[in-house]
Amino acid sequence: MSRLTLTQAINAGLRKAMEDDPKVVLMGEDIGTLGGVFRVTDGLMKDFGSHRVIDTPLAESAIIGTAVGLAYRGFRPVCEIQFDGFIYPGFDQIVSQVAKLHMRTHGQVRMPLTIRVPFGGGIGSPEHHSESPEAYFVHTSGLRVISVSNPQDAYTMLRQAIACDDPVLFFEPKRRYHTKGEVDLDADLSRAPAMGASRVVSAGTDVTLVTYGPLVSTALDAAKAAADDGISLEVIDLRSLSPLDYGPIEDSVRRTGRLVITHEASETLGLGAEIAAGITERCFNYLEAAPVRVTGFDIPYPPSKLEKHHLPDLDRMLDGVDRVLGRPNSLSGLEG
Amino acid sequence: MLDASAISGASPQPGIHQLIAADGTSVADEELAPLVADVDDDQLLQLYSDMVTIRRIDVEATALQRQGQLALWPPMLGQEASQAGSLHALTMDDFIFPTYRENGVAYLRGADLAGIMSTWRGSANTGWDPHKFNMATPQIIIGAQTLHATGYAMGLVLDGKEALSIAYLGDGASSQGDVHESMVFAASFQAPVIFFCQNNHWAISEPVGLQAHAPIAGRAPGYGIPSMRVDGNDVLAVLAATRWAANRARSGGGPSFIEAVTYRMGAHTTADDPTRYRGVTELEEWGARDPIARVRAFLQGRGRLDEAAEAGVAARADTMAAELRNGCINMPDPAPMTVFDNVYTTEHAILDRQRDHYERYLAAFATTEGTTLEGSRS
Amino acid sequence: MIQEFKLPDLGEGLTESEIVSWHVAVGDTVQLNQVIGEVETAKAVVELPSPYAGIVTAITHEPGTTVEVGEVIIAFEVPAEGGPAAEAVDPAQKRVPTLVGYGADPESSKRPARRARAFAATSTTTMPQPAAEAAPAVVAAPVEARVQADRPRSTPPVRKLARDMGIDLAELVGTGERGLITRDDVLSFAGDPSQGAGVAATAPSASAVGTPAGAGNAAREVRTPIKGVRKFTAAAVAKSAFTAPHVTEFLTVDVTAGMEFLAKLRAKREFSDVKLTPLTLAARAVCLGIARQPSLNSRWDEGANEIVTMNYVNLGIAAATPRGLVVPNIKDAQLLGMHGLAAAVGELATVARSGKTQPADLAGGTFSITNIGVFGIDAGTPILNSGEAGILALGAVRNTPWEHQGGIALRQVMTLSLSFDHRLVDGEQGSRFLADVGAVMSDPAMALALS
Repeated sequence: MSRLTLTQAINAGLRKAMEDDPKVVLMGEDIGTLGGVFRVTDGLMKDFGSHRVIDTPLAESAIIGTAVGLAYRGFRPVCEIQFDGFIYPGFDQIVSQVAKLHMRTHGQVRMPLTIRVPFGGGIGSPEHHSESPEAYFVHTSGLRVISVSNPQDAYTMLRQAIACDDPVLFFEPKRRYHTKGEVDLDADLSRAPAMGASRVVSAGTDVTLVTYGPLVSTALDAAKAAADDGISLEVIDLRSLSPLDYGPIEDSVRRTGRLVITHEASETLGLGAEIAAGITERCFNYLEAAPVRVTGFDIPYPPSKLEKHHLPDLDRMLDGVDRVLGRPNSLSGLEG
Repeated sequence: MLDASAISGASPQPGIHQLIAADGTSVADEELAPLVADVDDDQLLQLYSDMVTIRRIDVEATALQRQGQLALWPPMLGQEASQAGSLHALTMDDFIFPTYRENGVAYLRGADLAGIMSTWRGSANTGWDPHKFNMATPQIIIGAQTLHATGYAMGLVLDGKEALSIAYLGDGASSQGDVHESMVFAASFQAPVIFFCQNNHWAISEPVGLQAHAPIAGRAPGYGIPSMRVDGNDVLAVLAATRWAANRARSGGGPSFIEAVTYRMGAHTTADDPTRYRGVTELEEWGARDPIARVRAFLQGRGRLDEAAEAGVAARADTMAAELRNGCINMPDPAPMTVFDNVYTTEHAILDRQRDHYERYLAAFATTEGTTLEGSRS
Repeated sequence: MIQEFKLPDLGEGLTESEIVSWHVAVGDTVQLNQVIGEVETAKAVVELPSPYAGIVTAITHEPGTTVEVGEVIIAFEVPAEGGPAAEAVDPAQKRVPTLVGYGADPESSKRPARRARAFAATSTTTMPQPAAEAAPAVVAAPVEARVQADRPRSTPPVRKLARDMGIDLAELVGTGERGLITRDDVLSFAGDPSQGAGVAATAPSASAVGTPAGAGNAAREVRTPIKGVRKFTAAAVAKSAFTAPHVTEFLTVDVTAGMEFLAKLRAKREFSDVKLTPLTLAARAVCLGIARQPSLNSRWDEGANEIVTMNYVNLGIAAATPRGLVVPNIKDAQLLGMHGLAAAVGELATVARSGKTQPADLAGGTFSITNIGVFGIDAGTPILNSGEAGILALGAVRNTPWEHQGGIALRQVMTLSLSFDHRLVDGEQGSRFLADVGAVMSDPAMALALS
């Protein structure tokens, strides 16, 4: 086992994927010589050459669009979009082409692209560097969407994503880039948890707390703090946003009857809305209270001095837990 | 091949207009000279002072970031002539669409120093009222502002005005689709817009040779837009070139493209490490073409910049720097509930509900700790 | 005053740097922002501009040493005014700036804790614990097989009903589809807790009184768990009392003629198989009265913002059972005559006494009668059976001096106490109704006039 940061684990995953398959090429701004603005691709150009670690001109639409062309040619491109907020110039290529080509061609053209996107806030940045755009892509049929939360998953799931013949949006929680974790670099991919599987990361009996990406570690901290209050939280890491794996969530809610979903993205039409509806359909007769969502507000991402108000933190999560338990909370007496 | 060899463009190539050489001597330029014939030594001294001041501000802001007072700062070190020279060709009726690096332009335009800092401190998304200064807020999405500038210029035409808009952009931006679309529109509608491209040779770690296999100025004529390459470190030449473009715009001549060839002497932003991707030689070569040094030499050569005058310029610059520092470190944090402000002009029931809920949430705490939440924050 | 400068964060996620060189020495005067030294990260050599103007008083780390972010590396004597740089360095800052910002918050080694809130979140909680106790330790690793069973299946509205009635669904067996616990299941359990398949043995609450301890160790109070019918009744009564605005009216009537009428009926052969009592006559009178004052037979539907007036009378008769008070009702009582009502009341009482009242009997009542006269009581202020508009309490029949044909005579007199929900019934309506009932009780022939 190795103890790696999230960036190192992604780096190792890219390296392994490139070693395993010569058709894997990386493309992105500043990924080659510089090794990436977060050093995620550090050292790869030196080892694999600039024809496989491609520094691109400054044009996101072209990065994705030329990757589509490379995929036609049989390559397996791994595109990096430097920051979440910069994905929008490439949105048309992703939604109109990457997502649709397989169905358009009756399965004859495959788009085995992986699009890596550092996402999420909490890094004290100016505009456009702290977005959570994952819902747009979950809503786009034809794409798979993944959000890793820890180094081991990053290593394994990136390799799975690259090997997958469907296009995958691979969201990396940039505020956790320096978090360390144990990584088994020799893990057999065929015996790893499925790329589409959600996972209970901390067992509990009273409330099911579902999240993904940067907030998984916040949720785990919330579980520790809640334990001091005598509340046992079961924390579930979604890992895969499209498709959503409801199995472990249903199992959990059948036991707890109480569900809280939390994410940085805005409340309206976020993953929380989808899961609240999905679990209500599947577990209506087990629910003790309405599902609660603890999310960012319906605002553009605020200036960094205000981001701590927008982003769910431990206290806001536990306020939601209180609400679903019927304990005193900030909205006591308000809702039906 | 996909191997992008770095064309660093270390030496100015032929066809680049210049009026003051790097060593401070005059250069004859038939096209530009008439445009600045009115610029006397006093005005040049003012340009010099402006450049010294904005460099001093830049240094102070960099230090403030190192001291944790700013989230980040994009240095404009080395680009003072491009910013000051172009700004001085504009009137207050002209509308400026900057990138995020035109903090010198913003200061010279009259924006308040603390306001300029607020964006980089993370206290606000904008440091000034665009309509008050006819200047848009810093644009972080590369190239987006060129479309805005073109549209604004189209509006000027519809209103029958003689003013213009100017879009600042970098060499990296010249690869973005938006920039090309803006030039198509500008030409089709003959919009009075100046595309002012500061080719500072680097887009983070990507050299200009990756963005363009020919001089960037050569792109514009392909769209039907006249262009000029100018030494971006020569403030007089920049002023002249911008006046050339402004005159065209004001007289119904439509869009123009200026490539100001300069160099990003500092890092991309304050946490970048340029030694990873560029060499020391390049820095030394461009250091020898410093925009401030050459004007100093020029003015000293004409006896217009003695020690006292120099000290006066430095003192004014230091005063601005101190004002900037004070404004920055004493800037109050925004109040928590302002996070909901100005999302819409109209009512939005969903947002109102969230605001109400968050207000109750904050009220539920034992202490109001203002804007800093202690305790664990994962 | 002395100001210390701690090694700031310099980018790219590194937590330490090596001091490369100092450009100043102890005793030197430095200007604000003057470069005082250089440090090296794994990426680059970085100059340090001084955050203070002052005199160097101490340099705590020599070139070549590696220093952690946040450690003091140099100290200055600064003028007392402090100058504008007085708070230039935030000693607590440990965020690592990136290319684009202050950087992420560092991971804290402190145990995560909630902020204190203004309202007391005490530990007396409404924690549902159908199975295991809450485990204080949290397992960070992925989970193996779980022991905790699925919760009982029910629907949110029924859960609420059970919660309001203080019933734990875990004690029930559901009769709905695939074991779903239904509303009827809950109500049935309320009527007879032993019907549940629960594990716990629940002693009938009415007799669940702890015996006082023997002399010498006598307990000064006895505690009885609140559960079963007592709990249900308490909840229902409390809800009724605090939801519906109760008004009670009293009418004392001379029922001598009514008693004579009942005696006459008892003598008839067709009435030999039933028991006729003043309650029977009152039941008939109530049905006739409701026909003329339907507001006494209505319901307040808050959710639909409507008053529902029923065209049938499900007449509840309060009955004492071994487990407490229940109010089963006679369906469509308005269709029954004296014989039918007598039979129904008798049947109802028999079933109740044996504790076999069905949930269906308890549900759907529209008006109730409670006979407090059997206890020798004259009058009272009965509480409405939850959701109903009116309840009539019958007092004892007493020989009382009364006005009779212009003089005073000993007559059989009874007080009728009518409580009604003033949201649904106004004073006039309630009064007229009570008057009608009294009229029939005192002169059964008045029934002909009322129909």
